[in-house]
Amino acid sequence: MIEALLQALINGVIAGTILAVPALGFTAIFAVLNYPNFAIGALATVGAYAGWVGNTVFGLPMLGALPLAFGVAGLAGLAVQSLAVKPLEASGALMMAIASLAAGLVLENILRFGFGNDLRGFELPLLRDWRIGEFRIGPQQLENFGLALACMALLWAFLRFSRTGRAMRAVADNRDLALLRGVDPVRVALVTVIVGAGLAGMGGMLVGLDTSVDPLTGTRLVLSIFAAAVLGGLGSIPGAVAGAIAIGMAEELSVIVFNPAYRLVVGFVVILIVLTLRPAGLFGTRAS
Amino acid sequence: MTIMTRRTALIASASLLAMPSLARAQGAPIHLGTLTPLTGAGGPYGPVMANCVKSVITEVNGVGGVLGRQVQLTSEDDQTNPEAGLRAARKLIDIDRVAAIMGTWASSVTTAVAPLCWENKTFLTTVSGADSITALPHNGWLIRTQPNTTLQGRKFGEYAVELGGKKMFFMAPQTPFTQSQLANMKPPIEAAGGSIELLIYDAAKPSLRTEVDQAMRARPDIIILGGYTPDTTVLLRDIFRAGYRGKLLAYAYSVNQQMIGSLPHDVTEGIYTLAPSPAQGSGGFDRVKRIVGNDNPDPYTCQIYDQVNLVLMAMAVGNDATGQGIHDNIRRVSQGGGDKVDNVMDGLRAIAAGKKVDYDGASGPCDFTDAGDITDCKFRYDQVRGGQQTLIRIA
Amino acid sequence: MVSYLIFLLVVGGIYALLAQSLCLAWGVTGLVNLGLAGFFAIGAYASATLTKWGGVPVPLGLVAALVAGAVAGFVVCVSTLRLRDDYLAIVTLGFAEAVRVIASNEIWLTGGTDGISGIPAGMPRDWGQRFHIISLVIVTILLGLVWLALRRLVASPWGRALRAVREDQIVAAVAGKRVTRLKAEAFAIACAIAALAGALYGHYTSYIAPEIFQPLITIYVFLAVTAGGNGRPTGAAIGAYILIAFLEATRFAAEIVPGVSAVQAAALREASVGIALILLLRFRQRGLFPELNQKAPA
Repeated sequence: MIEALLQALINGVIAGTILAVPALGFTAIFAVLNYPNFAIGALATVGAYAGWVGNTVFGLPMLGALPLAFGVAGLAGLAVQSLAVKPLEASGALMMAIASLAAGLVLENILRFGFGNDLRGFELPLLRDWRIGEFRIGPQQLENFGLALACMALLWAFLRFSRTGRAMRAVADNRDLALLRGVDPVRVALVTVIVGAGLAGMGGMLVGLDTSVDPLTGTRLVLSIFAAAVLGGLGSIPGAVAGAIAIGMAEELSVIVFNPAYRLVVGFVVILIVLTLRPAGLFGTRAS
Repeated sequence: MTIMTRRTALIASASLLAMPSLARAQGAPIHLGTLTPLTGAGGPYGPVMANCVKSVITEVNGVGGVLGRQVQLTSEDDQTNPEAGLRAARKLIDIDRVAAIMGTWASSVTTAVAPLCWENKTFLTTVSGADSITALPHNGWLIRTQPNTTLQGRKFGEYAVELGGKKMFFMAPQTPFTQSQLANMKPPIEAAGGSIELLIYDAAKPSLRTEVDQAMRARPDIIILGGYTPDTTVLLRDIFRAGYRGKLLAYAYSVNQQMIGSLPHDVTEGIYTLAPSPAQGSGGFDRVKRIVGNDNPDPYTCQIYDQVNLVLMAMAVGNDATGQGIHDNIRRVSQGGGDKVDNVMDGLRAIAAGKKVDYDGASGPCDFTDAGDITDCKFRYDQVRGGQQTLIRIA
Repeated sequence: MVSYLIFLLVVGGIYALLAQSLCLAWGVTGLVNLGLAGFFAIGAYASATLTKWGGVPVPLGLVAALVAGAVAGFVVCVSTLRLRDDYLAIVTLGFAEAVRVIASNEIWLTGGTDGISGIPAGMPRDWGQRFHIISLVIVTILLGLVWLALRRLVASPWGRALRAVREDQIVAAVAGKRVTRLKAEAFAIACAIAALAGALYGHYTSYIAPEIFQPLITIYVFLAVTAGGNGRPTGAAIGAYILIAFLEATRFAAEIVPGVSAVQAAALREASVGIALILLLRFRQRGLFPELNQKAPA
């Protein structure tokens, strides 16, 4: 039983790390643009398809397909932002959120129009797991885990060292102060949307690598992404990572100690508990 | 009182609108509808089904249609959602005035639209498997070509025993037939001294590693997969990674050619599948292969092919292109002996020559009980070998 | 044709009730309920289980649905009312998914994925057209009552307080309004209305199942309310009928678009819902029936 729990925790950490990538995208957009982007699931699907096309049509390896997923999803995110969301800036966060929800529906159906509902699989050899004593771990999981970590490291470096990244953090921390200091808000918003949507796209591709790609690939993740972001504290970058790993573990543990069919309920219950007890989340500072 | 007068007015105008349908006895097209999922969870299945019906009808129209009338097809999307399905069915019945609705897939959609069909004398043919469907008070207004879960469950149980399994593990999402499938697999397995465990998983989960770990801990000889294509794809990858070396048994509609094509061969190698089937050498299955351009059309496509063939022949044999005509005559072409036919073109010729026909289709012999269930059907036992479903036997 | 129109008017009336719910929560109070489908489900299940298995008469089932909806609404909103409003949006979205999962798996309570068929309607279904006309009358009357009540509420001091909360919570609080309590009341009432719609849906169509209550329904209602004008019950109700007309019209439009497959047509239909919502938000955010400037209290 202990082994089972530990194995579930290992699985949860790996699943959570992959979940962290789109959760980072969601939380980054929230931090800088100040609204929850409900198109995040559809953007993840866009990335998954882009990666799949890169891999199976152009023969790209994973490391080549991942930037393609980032780029195409980033552009799709930019389109969502400029066509649907930005015109509503004056109407407040809620209107922007609803517009993004509608835009997500449109994206999903553009993909359906182009690719149909068929399942698409990456051309990737599938390897058996390694066994270490009682435990097992998959080379592919490890690779995805590594790719997810690399995405996060790149994001961290970008936020830490680049001018634009620092400007993004400044806007996220205190919008008015950042503007006073001469940060260009339009530019920062632009970059954030591309990076946020791009991260969602990479997350979608990482999930697609493991499963298969269809128009609902990203939509299936949405609730887990929200739970991760809320648990970590909406708008907190380290929070999204910690939240995603915690949600990943909670979902896997629920298989053993609870009922596997209730995974989605686990995410919901976590959201409710966090908001009741500690609305700012694990790392967040601002909630009300 | 005002309500009464308005109602009478409405009824009067309804009968006025109904007039043209009486007047179009000759020459006017016959209307048929498909209601399959084109979006939502059933999205991977519905589009091929709708296309298959379309191509059968195009072929029939090419030789002058049925009863000298062209057949017009309207394909609606049920969105895998009973609410949307109900609206679509209303439109098919009241606007397109279809004589039959074919191909409802999700059990919930079928249950939602069935009352509408029998109230409006529209024939319903479905591929849904839940036992409860033919138990609805439909008075002969629906048939289903999918074997009910009682029959399928028993076949799965018997086959698992035959494959030499003692400990079986059944993994499935929660569907209208999960529980009944389990209940019907149990008796043959337990009679052979075996046992079976059930794990219900969340079909939307991107990784099922921990669920597979749970299954592996039971050290099963055979894992039986009860899901649809998207979730079974996830499950198979994780079963492969976990190093499982036992046998796998699945529905042919989930482990279909599309899925086999999207997974490495190692992962699908050796999976056993079951599907309702016609007798060996039946031409129906070959025809569906040609229509969909695929060597292993999935069972739902085979079934809807049979449904449209039966509906068209029932109209011809009863000389009545209405829902009532199909209701009264469908068993005259599906069973009871006569010339064996496996497609509507041959069937129409035989009927025109005054012969009795007995249709054996792509999914099975298509003989129906009064409740609308298929009386008996053979099953196709396939095994995936080198990325191809390979026929083991039909029995 | 006539029965199709009657059917659409009944369904339109049910969507109009959902739109009344969203009008109160979102339009008047500023609380976004992305879990509308979940409350719709709660009402449908409350009334269907009680009338089918508990032998309770249909009117009592409707009352039970109202109560269940209000209680669920209160429980869901209570943890987030002190937070930024987008938290409520996320929680309600999760709530709708959770309801669907529970309805699928708690077979003893809900019939599971099989759903509940043969839900009593309180009158014989084999009345044919008469059944549908009476249903239309009942649904329309109930919608009318809710609409009247909502109009009065919106015009009352309570309604003005809600709008004050929507415009600026801090100002409202400073002005002595009990912001959290007001929001909870409005949200619970709104959820009760959505639940009533669910109960009526079940009794009218005789069948409910978890698959009915998908997030797409919530998007539909947002489209309806935005089209009509989100701050006014009249606009929301008319928006719902426009929505149903729009959804059905896209069906006919899809038939005449040449050269697309069935899936592509279906994709275009769903995309058009999203595009319509985006365009309305952008170019006609106040809807066909914009909120009027408030009259002085009588």
